Amino acid sequence: MIELINVSKRFGDATAVDDISLTIESGEFCVLVGTSGCGKSTTLRMINRLLPHSDGRIRIDGEEIYQIDEQKLRRRIGYAIQSTGLFPHWSVERNISVVPRLLGWPAAKIDARIRELLALLDLPYEEFAGKFPSQLSGGQAQRVGVARALAGDPDILLMDEPFGALDPITRESLQNELLRIQSQIHKTIVFVTHDMDEALKLATRIVVMDKGKIVQQDTPQQLLRHPASEFVESLLGGQERGLKQAGLLRSGDLMQLTDDMIDGDGPSLQATDSIRVALSLMLTHHCRSLPVLDQQGNQIGVLHLDQLLEPAP
Amino acid sequence: MKSTLPVNRVLLVLVLLALASLWGLDYASVQPNRIVPGAGQSLMSALGWPWASVLTLLLVICACTPVRSSRALLYQLMIVVLLILQLPLSLGWFIERHIDPALPYARAGIGAGFWVLLFLLGLMLIEIKQRIRLHAGWSLVIWLLILAVILISVPWLEPLALMREYQTRSQQFAQALRSHLALVGGAVGFSLVSGFILALLLNRYPAARKSCFGVLSFIQTIPSLALFGLLIAPLSYLSANSPLLQQLNVRGIGWAPALLALIAYSLLPMVRNTFIALHEVSADVLESARGMGMSPRQVFMQVRLPLALPIIIEGVRITTIQAIGLTAVAALIGAGGFGTFIFQGLGQAAMDLILLGALPIIVLALLADAFFSAAADRFKPGVKG
Repeated sequence: MIELINVSKRFGDATAVDDISLTIESGEFCVLVGTSGCGKSTTLRMINRLLPHSDGRIRIDGEEIYQIDEQKLRRRIGYAIQSTGLFPHWSVERNISVVPRLLGWPAAKIDARIRELLALLDLPYEEFAGKFPSQLSGGQAQRVGVARALAGDPDILLMDEPFGALDPITRESLQNELLRIQSQIHKTIVFVTHDMDEALKLATRIVVMDKGKIVQQDTPQQLLRHPASEFVESLLGGQERGLKQAGLLRSGDLMQLTDDMIDGDGPSLQATDSIRVALSLMLTHHCRSLPVLDQQGNQIGVLHLDQLLEPAP
Repeated sequence: MKSTLPVNRVLLVLVLLALASLWGLDYASVQPNRIVPGAGQSLMSALGWPWASVLTLLLVICACTPVRSSRALLYQLMIVVLLILQLPLSLGWFIERHIDPALPYARAGIGAGFWVLLFLLGLMLIEIKQRIRLHAGWSLVIWLLILAVILISVPWLEPLALMREYQTRSQQFAQALRSHLALVGGAVGFSLVSGFILALLLNRYPAARKSCFGVLSFIQTIPSLALFGLLIAPLSYLSANSPLLQQLNVRGIGWAPALLALIAYSLLPMVRNTFIALHEVSADVLESARGMGMSPRQVFMQVRLPLALPIIIEGVRITTIQAIGLTAVAALIGAGGFGTFIFQGLGQAAMDLILLGALPIIVLALLADAFFSAAADRFKPGVKG
């Protein structure tokens, strides 16, 4: 659990973070969203003491962070940044082993951990362990960056726009990967981004920041339904809010269970597809209903246009 | 479609130049004694037609080999190495033909044609080595081979003017080598340590950067001769008033002012490279090193220094080469080194004595360049290419 109580950060006369309070429960995926300069990165970097806070208290599992040795604190907290910050003179393997080495793990345990992490991030050990950062693509480098952040098996993972520099396709696949990993390891993740779609997709809780203050914090669904201010509404895409909302609902949850078969050659949906996808397919193919399939490709239901307009459950 | 020549055009041009200089310039000369100017000998008369025609033929083959495969490059490399190997042998052959052993003062001079050929062959070697992936071991074999042939031909080359100058001064030569290396080593070593400390300080105190680099750049603009001269007066004064300095043999002339001036010149390249090397390490990499929980010492030793090392070594390389050259000038204030021969030779209008000083300086500079380039490559982060 991470608690920030009336925390402020001042750089000279400028106030970057202004009296914020925030509690992040264990296992939560908390995303800090806001425009550039809103203080979200500063907030993140105060948690692992890369920046000292000027005022207030920050506690991790009830312990004040300034009472913990700063290097020990950071070894307990995974940290991944946009530029990856991989060490260019070390191989992938050596890069990942940084924190375990600092923690003084035995060699065999470090080696096992590297293999486990590379497997988790879908980077075959034989192919990648000996490569250097300059030989990796942007997406691969960021995977290594995430693996390195997870290496010491920290309870907390801080991620500062880790996917910000990637192309949309790679970014999406890494977001899916992160969700998959999180469903396996249940870390407490604090994630900074300026991309609201990314926040809506990943977060269990979204914290919207503006000018150093927290404007609203809520689940993605609640945020979409009840934006607290015009600023939050504009971050949510203004008129496109409906589509973003649709992106969070799954076809499988809204479909009608039916045995009526629809012609198998036409467009179809997966139960896990969002109704935003459903809407897009309907617009593309000029149809009012679509078959919904399970993972094996068997039809399990039908989604009608009318159902999309019903209030969300 | 544009038609392209099936041969390497760079090599072709170099070979044409080589042929022109071989046939147009004197290859070597004969001097009856040290004073009388030598009589130049063309390629044909110097080496005779069999040697001259084989030489010409090899050059033509080298230029005309079609560049289709790496095998062709290998042949070209072999020809160029062969041509380099024959250089000392050809001088031996020339001596055999033209220098009468009954005349003890007769000496052989090396002609312009020979030097130009040596230079062009060097360029050809560089050109070919850029195109061929040569294993480092093979490069070493080539260098050892060249060295071996030079050593083998030394007894033949005794009547060479250069060798005659060396023989009468072999003691002085060893002494010059020692003092040259000592001055360069001392200047580079001292400026490396003090440059490193200075660079660390500049990294910490940005306010001092401008003035520090200003002073160092200003020193660099003083002509070396002037700086050597300017140091004579203050050092003479200090030495006259301090018995300790007198014991250390510190005087207005000699090694002390030379070393001081060399250090002053060495500081700028050393500090600049070290400072830039440490300063340019990506802030993100340093921040993530901190974020991983490395202590400031670990960040410096494991991340910052290793990443800066290639550029620091590059600074040592530049500084060393510069110091090797400047030390030659230091001979004027009695600091010794190979410059002594150069200035003696200038005074006596003896070209070969000048060469006796200049050639080792060139060799030293090339060796330093090769050594530090290899060292910098060795420490480049990651795998190249």
